[in-house]
Amino acid sequence: MRKIVTVAVREFVETIKTKTFIISTVFMPMLIVLIMLMTERIAEVAENEPQPMRTVAVIDETGRLEPFLHSEFGTYNSEHPMRRMEIELIPPDAAAADHLRERVHRGEIYAYVRVPAEASRGEAACELGAQDSQIETQRRIQRLVESAIVSLRFASADPPIERSRVEQLQADVPFRVVDVRTGRDATGNELVRFMTPFAFMFLLFMGTLNISQGLLTGLIEEKSSRVIEVLLSAVSPTQLMAGKILGMVSIGALLMVIWAGTGYYAAQSRGMGYLVQVYQLQYLALYFVPGFLLMSAILAAIGSACNTIKDAQSLAFPVTLITIVPMMLWWQIAMNPNSTFSIVLSYIPPITPFIMILRICADPKTPLLEIIATLVLLWASVGAAIWVAGRVFRVGVLMYGKAPTPAEMLRWVRYR
Amino acid sequence: MSVTDALVLQNVTKRYGSHTAVNRLSLRAPAGEILGFLGPNGAGKTTTIRIIMSILYPDEGEVRILGQPRATDVKDRIGYLPEERGLYRKMTVDGTLRYFGRLKGLSGKDLNTRIGAALERVGLAEWRRKKVEALSKGMQQKLQFVGAVLHQPELVILDEPFTGLDPLNTETLLELMAELRARGATVIFSTHQMETAQRLCDRLVLINRGRKLIEGSPTEIRSQFAMRMLTIEGEGDFRELAKAPGVVGAHVSAGQARLELSEGFDPNEILRRALESGRIARFEVHRPDLHEIFVKLVEADGARPPPAPVARAERPEAAHA
Repeated sequence: MRKIVTVAVREFVETIKTKTFIISTVFMPMLIVLIMLMTERIAEVAENEPQPMRTVAVIDETGRLEPFLHSEFGTYNSEHPMRRMEIELIPPDAAAADHLRERVHRGEIYAYVRVPAEASRGEAACELGAQDSQIETQRRIQRLVESAIVSLRFASADPPIERSRVEQLQADVPFRVVDVRTGRDATGNELVRFMTPFAFMFLLFMGTLNISQGLLTGLIEEKSSRVIEVLLSAVSPTQLMAGKILGMVSIGALLMVIWAGTGYYAAQSRGMGYLVQVYQLQYLALYFVPGFLLMSAILAAIGSACNTIKDAQSLAFPVTLITIVPMMLWWQIAMNPNSTFSIVLSYIPPITPFIMILRICADPKTPLLEIIATLVLLWASVGAAIWVAGRVFRVGVLMYGKAPTPAEMLRWVRYR
Repeated sequence: MSVTDALVLQNVTKRYGSHTAVNRLSLRAPAGEILGFLGPNGAGKTTTIRIIMSILYPDEGEVRILGQPRATDVKDRIGYLPEERGLYRKMTVDGTLRYFGRLKGLSGKDLNTRIGAALERVGLAEWRRKKVEALSKGMQQKLQFVGAVLHQPELVILDEPFTGLDPLNTETLLELMAELRARGATVIFSTHQMETAQRLCDRLVLINRGRKLIEGSPTEIRSQFAMRMLTIEGEGDFRELAKAPGVVGAHVSAGQARLELSEGFDPNEILRRALESGRIARFEVHRPDLHEIFVKLVEADGARPPPAPVARAERPEAAHA
């Protein structure tokens, strides 16, 4: 046991001293936050950037749309002085649309809209052609024309209906969303709140990625520099592997403490304590330990069998791929944490921690029985993985040459 | 088996597929002596040492190391310097020794003083806080040696310890090995440099193609070979002498000929011929040295061993079940 600790301490100390570790621990999360803030800012800036007046040609086959169009576009222009649009009404004739398409294509006008006579009754589609594929601008034009047509419908109803009166009656009914635990308003941060489960899962993902890289590169270095033989004259392969896994899990724990602690502190200090709650951190701790152990054991087996980082990475690729699954499905799982789909995914060991953290953060009422069941399953697979990895490790660690196939590695498990 | 033997191998055999790397090898290393483990490249020295270290397991035969069947049971009493050497490049000299020392069960103040003394002894004291990558190859090798013997093991096993060392460092290493013996430790080292082995070893084992050719003390071995050797040095072409009657073995190089004479043949015959070939500076009849004995033995055995198998083709052997 003392030797295991010695190995673990070296792994831990030497890893946290490396530049890679400092970069990935401190700078990576900062960079991610920065990028997230920046994209928001950039979108904002781009939105307010002044643009030259854009011309939208309208072929009005109803013949009655003009005042409504002017009113809609007028309102729009007064609200968006930087991105004004003007209307050019084109008398309908057979070739008008062809001609306008040509003009849009040449860049003389921004877009054209043809409103067929039946469009006011909703019986025919309007036609929109624009210079580029800026969805936002196209939608805006669509909405303005749509609103003009709706106003036309109100005006031409028999007897005429006052649009503003109907809108008044259909006015939004305000809601206050309340946090059931605190009784306080939870409104305004819906999206941020929804991102919390993802943030927790991402934390776990980053941690896993980090330690798996460390484990693989460390092992490959020891093998290629042949330090491994010296080590094996002092410790058994099993002790060596156990020490490495222990060291890696400690590094993972340090990462978790730094990141989760920062997140918790940040949320608290900005008065958004409800975002990161203690119970979530407790579950994070509960799931990350077996989660990291499982991953480390699998990767230790892979690392021990390979001699170049390239071989190791290609062999580890399927494992990495599995951890990406929760990243891709997180929205589905966070939206429906108790769907059959989510529950089934919770019982696939390497991704169990990710899925369960998502589910628990999305729904604090996740059944305790499920939490216990997944933890038992997780620990059982940790035991199995360490046993298998130990057997692969003791053979693989002294193997040089080409990387083995997974089938070969399985054969090693059966050696005496 | 005597209780005073630090290591005993009995009929140890190791096969890699159809290739037999070690073939019914028996040898013993009496406690407190230096055993030289000799043989040409590919003779099976490293495989044997790995079997001794329980890194590989023999297919047949028995190993007893410090009274135990497996080196794993007595790890802390053994110091091992593998043939393939490596260090953590980014660790400091001090950190490296500290780590190796701790793995061997040392700790605290004792470890600290030992590191200081050992580095002082090999002249690396001022490098203690430097990173390993800053050290020259020779210094790294000395560092590794220090790492292997820091815990004062009873048995030290060195695989090709002299490879890559300059003459000065070779001398230092020879002294260190003598110091280990003086302290009572048993030292086993493999080499293909007969001369260094001859100077230091109490006992020698020569293997070729996985089999033992001869075992004994240098004096014992030399007394078994009564052949007469003739060394001629001077200016001239001595190649013709190799074909002279009475010469049964010859190694001729520029300015030198080392000849083995058949029994009862008069060396003066050779001297006469030599005088025709050039100017003679030295002419000496002498007993063979170990180098000559071993070359003769290995050549008689079939000089070239079969090519070593590629590592991947080996049946991966489970160490430390």
